[in-house]
Amino acid sequence: MDYDFSVITDHWQFLAYGVGVTLTLAAFSGVTSIVVGFVAALARLYGPRWLKPLVILYIDSMRAIPVLVVLVWAFFALPIVAGITMPPFWAALMGLTIHLAAYAAEIFRAGIESVRPGQTRAALALGMSHAQIVRRIVLPQAVVRMLPAFGSLLSVTIKDTAIASVIAVPEFMRQSETVQGQTFQPIEVYTFAMLVYFVILFPITRGVDMFYRRVAHLGRS
Amino acid sequence: MTFDWSVVWQHRAELVSATGTTILLTVATMLIAVPCGMVVAALRLYAWAPVRAAATVYVELFRNVPLILVVFWAFYVLPIWSGLGLSPLATGLAALALNVTAYNAETFRAGLNSIRRGQVEAAMALGMSRTQALRRVIIPQALRRVLPVLANTWVSLFKDTSLVSVIAVTELAYVAMQIRAQSFRVLEMLTAMAAIYWLLGYPQAKLVDWIQRRYAVTE
Repeated sequence: MDYDFSVITDHWQFLAYGVGVTLTLAAFSGVTSIVVGFVAALARLYGPRWLKPLVILYIDSMRAIPVLVVLVWAFFALPIVAGITMPPFWAALMGLTIHLAAYAAEIFRAGIESVRPGQTRAALALGMSHAQIVRRIVLPQAVVRMLPAFGSLLSVTIKDTAIASVIAVPEFMRQSETVQGQTFQPIEVYTFAMLVYFVILFPITRGVDMFYRRVAHLGRS
Repeated sequence: MTFDWSVVWQHRAELVSATGTTILLTVATMLIAVPCGMVVAALRLYAWAPVRAAATVYVELFRNVPLILVVFWAFYVLPIWSGLGLSPLATGLAALALNVTAYNAETFRAGLNSIRRGQVEAAMALGMSRTQALRRVIIPQALRRVLPVLANTWVSLFKDTSLVSVIAVTELAYVAMQIRAQSFRVLEMLTAMAAIYWLLGYPQAKLVDWIQRRYAVTE
């Protein structure tokens, strides 16, 4: 078998553009999911009683429905219901955010709940308000404990952007498919794509692990 | 806007059989990936150094690559490497198994490592051999810790089976999107697809929560 990897060098600009879109989409959806997830977690933990079941329903639904289904729905079905047509990139950003925010919310909740209730009671006894307790006592410890989980969420986010290829977002997976479709060299193209994703993801997962080991002591209580 | 939900009922037979394929894929992948994951974890922990390195490379590679890419890769590469004409279902199963085996291997390895070393030392001080200590002391405890993670992987896997639709495996996502393309009832079919996944996945997610509460680690 002969492999000809010149297909990669011939299309490097086209593929590099895809990597750029992958990273942009991952960065955007990472930020939006964390913001939405944080709000959802606060609503679940401290929100009014009628809101909690709704948030739980939302979170558990997203744990039950594949991200592919959410993306396809956001791109094809939402315009029919809402009457707004979104370009693929924004539909993907929305779909990924809806899906990943649920996971982010679970991470926030687990982190916040891991801080022993005795600390909250002690802070209340000292006269702090609920908002103060969350901001000064609970979150500083919880954030450190959440780090490994957010590291894997970041890695999941980058991997999930590849699914946006299904709705024609020109990210790296989609660009690889296009190059493959033009050159008929799937082995070279897809093997290269695997290496690229690995080179992006492996340092991130390792980096987060190493950073966490350095700061883990800050989360102990 | 007028919606015609009868399209879902008209295609009920296809949807039911596609749902069956989705469940079959989930079960079959887990049946392959649990024993294979154990073997890979054992290789990573106890094998000869080059084998250990190869197992590590395999696990790290497949954990750090999007599954949808593995599916495409398997679709084109497996027939050439193996010389077999694999059906889309077999290819999809292979891709899922490759991916989940890597995750399970990491789960088992973490489970074994989570048991404090002092326990092996204590078992050996009592006259057990290393294998006995592993079998009688370490593995029974590790299994309890591994179970919640496996349950989590199960739910992820159930959802990830939708990704093999890109190579035309006739599971739920593929069939629903085919019917959508033929009938032009986009909203109805996509919503029905989401609803079926939800109906199957929601109880599983709840079950995972229960297992995680039941087997929570308390030291």
